[in-house]
Amino acid sequence: MAPYKILVVDDEPDLEPLILQRMRRAVRSGRYSFVFARNGLEALQKLREQDDIDMVLSDINMPQMDGLTLLEQIPKVDPNIRSVIISAYGDMKNIRTAMNRGAFDFVTKPLDFKDLRHTIERTLKHLIEWRAALASRDQLVTLQNELDVASKIQQSILPTQFPTTRRVDIYGAMEPARNVGGDFYDLIMLDQGKYGLAIADVSDKGVPASLFMMSSRTLLKGAAIGNPAPSEVLADVNNLLTEENDTAMFVTVIYATYSPESGRMTYSNGGHNPPIIVHTDGRTSLLDPIGGIALGVAPGFSFPNDTIELAPEETLILYTDGVTEAMNADHEEFGVERLLTIFSDNPPSSAKEATLAIFNAVREFAGPTPQSDDITCLSVFRKAVSSK
Amino acid sequence: MAINAEREGSVLILRADGRIDGSNASDFLASVEKEFDNSDTGVILDFAGLTYISSAGLRIILLIAKDLRGRDVSFAVCSLSSSVAEIFTISGFDQIIDLHDNSAAALAAIG
Repeated sequence: MAPYKILVVDDEPDLEPLILQRMRRAVRSGRYSFVFARNGLEALQKLREQDDIDMVLSDINMPQMDGLTLLEQIPKVDPNIRSVIISAYGDMKNIRTAMNRGAFDFVTKPLDFKDLRHTIERTLKHLIEWRAALASRDQLVTLQNELDVASKIQQSILPTQFPTTRRVDIYGAMEPARNVGGDFYDLIMLDQGKYGLAIADVSDKGVPASLFMMSSRTLLKGAAIGNPAPSEVLADVNNLLTEENDTAMFVTVIYATYSPESGRMTYSNGGHNPPIIVHTDGRTSLLDPIGGIALGVAPGFSFPNDTIELAPEETLILYTDGVTEAMNADHEEFGVERLLTIFSDNPPSSAKEATLAIFNAVREFAGPTPQSDDITCLSVFRKAVSSK
Repeated sequence: MAINAEREGSVLILRADGRIDGSNASDFLASVEKEFDNSDTGVILDFAGLTYISSAGLRIILLIAKDLRGRDVSFAVCSLSSSVAEIFTISGFDQIIDLHDNSAAALAAIG
């Protein structure tokens, strides 16, 4: 390792040989090296020329630029250099000024070299810790940037284009929490004008959860395209996710097939919150959770399914527990009861309106309390189609 | 979240209270594992004082269950409050974890 480089600034020419003599062992062993300057201006020039100077040891009274002015200038060259000031014994006024201008420490004349060595070592120790802290901050920033990229990739796979035809009205959205995380929704075109609808929430957050989410979503899409029965789709995905799942991560999923023509929706549940239906009069009811297990927990489970018929102008809403477990400042949860009353006076007239109303209600409830979980919602509004 | 351990014969009973969520799930796992002893034939998690468990917490329960099953140690969870019980039911964890109303019932089942 290169020696620590110390810039000594003093207009007294005798100081240079004195320091080199008294510090010769530390210089010979490669611990320190010294550079000298005769005033503040020369010191600044040395600092600009040599970017490997670690600390400055400076006198106060010097021609051209004094030590106190130099102290103000050093951070402009490099804010991470530490300075120690040499002052006359008892000159508290200048010592205070120097400390207020960012000096790390001071020593007094006549120099006590034992104390000076001790002060230099203490300054360097502080510098080493400071640099380590800066390095880990930089690493953290890099990591955070990578996580932001991961989060963007994750969101970019969520559908943002929704079919709008005479019959079909579907709209989904996700509001991610700070971390890359676990929620997703999907909309899959199936045969005979049907749609596959999925909403899911991966246990935990962070990078491992986001990778698990990506593979869950791909497996689900693959299984859904080949199979019209939601119960079989979930059973397949479950078996695939359970293989070699040492991390014990799991994903809760509702997968449904929906026919805009008939309004019939067949769904299977892998351990997820039951969907809700908003009726035309504004009443909201919870669908039967029908009790399947979260996917990835254990192989070989079967998943029951149920079929309901959405009446014209009724809305089906799939959501994650980021909605019901959103907290306000009093640590209260938004809860299912509040969810069930959002539409009592104002039943939605489109899927987008339903989804956005839920986001608004949660936002209003939570107020300034930071969001701790992804919030995701996928709505289906059954359009009333006049028969011609 | 605090953990309190006691033994009834060769069965380890761990009582946890408060919340288990993403912020303390791995601490919870570490403090549970610290109590394990090779001579244990059964482990009971008594959740009487638990007010909330998130999916990150359920994942830890699953890790514990897998670990114990691999070592042939029986495992049960007991005394769930109604809101925590609902989380176990909705996620389907009630289908793979042995749940009991109280620690006496859990002990009778696995002791």
